[in-house]
Amino acid sequence: MPSVKGMTPSIARQLGRDTLYVLVGFPLGLIAVVLSMTLFWLGVGLSLIWIGVPLLVGVMLLVRGLATVERARMAPVIGRRMPHPYYKRPSGPGFWAQVRAPLTDGQSWLDLLHAMFRFIPSTIAFAVVLTWWVGAVSGLTFPLWDWSIPRGPDNVDLPELLGLGDGSITRTILYLAIGAFFALTLYPVVRGAALLEASFARGLLSGVNELREQVAEAEAARDVAQAQKAAAVSAEATALRRLERDIHDGPQQRLVRLAIDLGRAEQQFATDPEAARATVTEALAQTRETLDELRALSRGIAPPILVDRGLPAALTALAGRCTVPVQLDAPPIGRLNPAVESTAYFVVAEALTNVAKHSRASEAEVSVQPTGGGLLIVVSDDGVGGASTAKGHGLAGLDDRVRAAGGVLDIDSPAGRGTTLRAAVPL
Amino acid sequence: MRVVIADDAVLLREGLVRLVEENGHAVVAAVGDGPGLVAAISEHRPDVSIVDVRMPPSHTDEGLRAAVQARGLVPGTPILVLSQYVEVSYADDLLADRAGAVGYLLKDRVSEVADFLDALARVAGGGTVLDPEVVGQLLVRRRRDDPLRNLTPREREVLALMAEGRSNTAIARRIFVTEGAVEKHVRNIFTKLDLSPDDEQHRRVLAVLAYLRS
Repeated sequence: MPSVKGMTPSIARQLGRDTLYVLVGFPLGLIAVVLSMTLFWLGVGLSLIWIGVPLLVGVMLLVRGLATVERARMAPVIGRRMPHPYYKRPSGPGFWAQVRAPLTDGQSWLDLLHAMFRFIPSTIAFAVVLTWWVGAVSGLTFPLWDWSIPRGPDNVDLPELLGLGDGSITRTILYLAIGAFFALTLYPVVRGAALLEASFARGLLSGVNELREQVAEAEAARDVAQAQKAAAVSAEATALRRLERDIHDGPQQRLVRLAIDLGRAEQQFATDPEAARATVTEALAQTRETLDELRALSRGIAPPILVDRGLPAALTALAGRCTVPVQLDAPPIGRLNPAVESTAYFVVAEALTNVAKHSRASEAEVSVQPTGGGLLIVVSDDGVGGASTAKGHGLAGLDDRVRAAGGVLDIDSPAGRGTTLRAAVPL
Repeated sequence: MRVVIADDAVLLREGLVRLVEENGHAVVAAVGDGPGLVAAISEHRPDVSIVDVRMPPSHTDEGLRAAVQARGLVPGTPILVLSQYVEVSYADDLLADRAGAVGYLLKDRVSEVADFLDALARVAGGGTVLDPEVVGQLLVRRRRDDPLRNLTPREREVLALMAEGRSNTAIARRIFVTEGAVEKHVRNIFTKLDLSPDDEQHRRVLAVLAYLRS
C-alpha cells in the first residue's frame, strides 16, 4: 500500500504542488469569470456613452493582474518560470494614449480570453483531483469509519449490488481495493489535471511571447552567421590578393631573372667560360631562393605539417622558424576541427611574422590552451608595441580570419611596452 | 656505395640517379612508392637509401612510414629522407629506434652537391644527419626554467651543429675556431645540460637529440 512516506520526496512534493495549484485554481477561475464577464460586457454596453471606455481599460488591467498571478502559480507545475511578457506602453501622457495602449495590446486580449474561459479547464481539473483524493483517502481509511455509517433495514451496500455478498469483510476488502486504485493512480491523474489547466494558461498567457522570443533568437543567430560569412569572404579575398602579389613579386620575378641568367651563361660558355661559371653560381643561388619562397607560399595556403600532424607539431615548426627566440606553451591536444586548427595556426603564424618584422623584440611567448569550449591563443613579445588591427595592417586580415571562425581577437600594444595578442576561437 | 632511390616525381628521381651515379655510386633500384621501397631494401640490402617523404597513394608521409617499416625488416639499414618541408615530428619517427644511420634533409640541400654527398656518406657510415631547420625546431624552449636558456650564443651554435650530426672537426671548420675550442664548448654544454659526456661521435649525437626531444 503506497503511502506518501514511501514515495520519493520529489514525487510527493510535485503531487502537493499540483494539488494546491488545481484546488486554488478553481475559486480563482470562478472569481475571474465572474469579474471579467460582468465588467467587460458592462463596459462594452456603456462604451456607447463613453463611461464604458475607462471601465474596459480597468478590466484589461484587472485581467493582466490575474494573468501575472497565474504565470507565477504555474511555474512549479510546468517546472520553469514564465517570463513576464511584453505589454504595449502608452505612447504619451494624454488620456487617449493611456486608454489606447491596453486596448490595442494583443496580449491583453489574450489575458481577457484566459480570464473568461479558464473556469472550464480548472473546473474539470478540480473535479478530477477532488474525486481522486477523496477516493484514495476515504477508501484506504474505510475500516476506521465503517462502524459510524448508520445501516437501516433497507440499506444496500455496493458489494451487494455487484453481487459479491454483504459480509463486512467483503465490504472492507472492496473499499480498500477501490482506495488503493485511486491512491496508485493519484499522481499521474493529478499531474495530468494540473498540466491541463497549466497548458491552457501557458498557451494563452505566454504563447505569443515565447514565439516572439524564438523569432528574436533566430534573427540574432542569422545576423551572427551573416557577419561570420562576410568576415570569411573578406578574409579569403584578402588572402587571395596577397597570394597573387606574393607570387608575382617573388617566384615569378626570380624565374624570369633565372631564365635571363641561364641565357647569358649559354652565350658566355663560348666566349668566357670563367664568367659563365660565375653566372651559373648566381643562377643556383636564385633557384634556392625561389624554392624558399615557394615553400613559404604553400605553407601560407595549407601548411602540410598542420594537415598531417596537427596543431602542436605545426606550432613547434612555426616557433622553430621564427628569427626571434620563442617560448612555446602548447599542451598535446588531439586533432581538432580543421577550421579551428587552421585559424589557430594562422593567428600564431601571422603574429610571429609581425614579431619578427616589426616588434624589435628579443623574446616572444606563444601559448595555445584549450579552455572550456574554446581555444585560447596568446602571443606576446617584449618589443616596441604600437601594433593595431586598423585597415592596411597585416593584423586586419587576421581579425577577419578569427571572426570568420566565430572567435574574437584582441590586441594590446601600448607604445614601448610590448605587444600581447589574444584570440579565442570556439571549438 | 650501392644506393636505392625512392621518389614518385620522375623528373627528380632521374636527377638524383644521375647525380649519385656521376659521383661513382651504383643505383641498384629506383622506385616510386612505399611498398616498392620496402621491397627494394629487403631485396638489395643497399648501403644507403634516399627516400622522398611524400609519395602515393596518401601523399602525406608515405615515404617516412615505408622507411620505418623497412628498418623493421632490415634493422639499421641506412636511410636518408628528403622532403619539401622538414618538421621535427617527422624526425622523431626516424630517430625513434635509436639505431642511428638516419638522415633528414630539406630537398633543396641536394643542390649543394658536395654537402649532400657528404651527408649521404655520413648516414651510410651509421651517423645521424639532421637539417638545420629541424634543429631550429628542436631548440624551441618549452619551459621558462629551460636549461637551454643558460647557454651562451656560441654554445647554442655548437649545440645546433652537434644536433645536425657534425663532428668536432666539422664544427671547428664551420665556425672558424680550433678543435680544442670546440671541445671546450662541448664540455660546457654537457655540464650545463647535465648530460654525461661521451667521446663516441654517434652516441654523443643521440644523447643531444634525446635531450632536445624530451
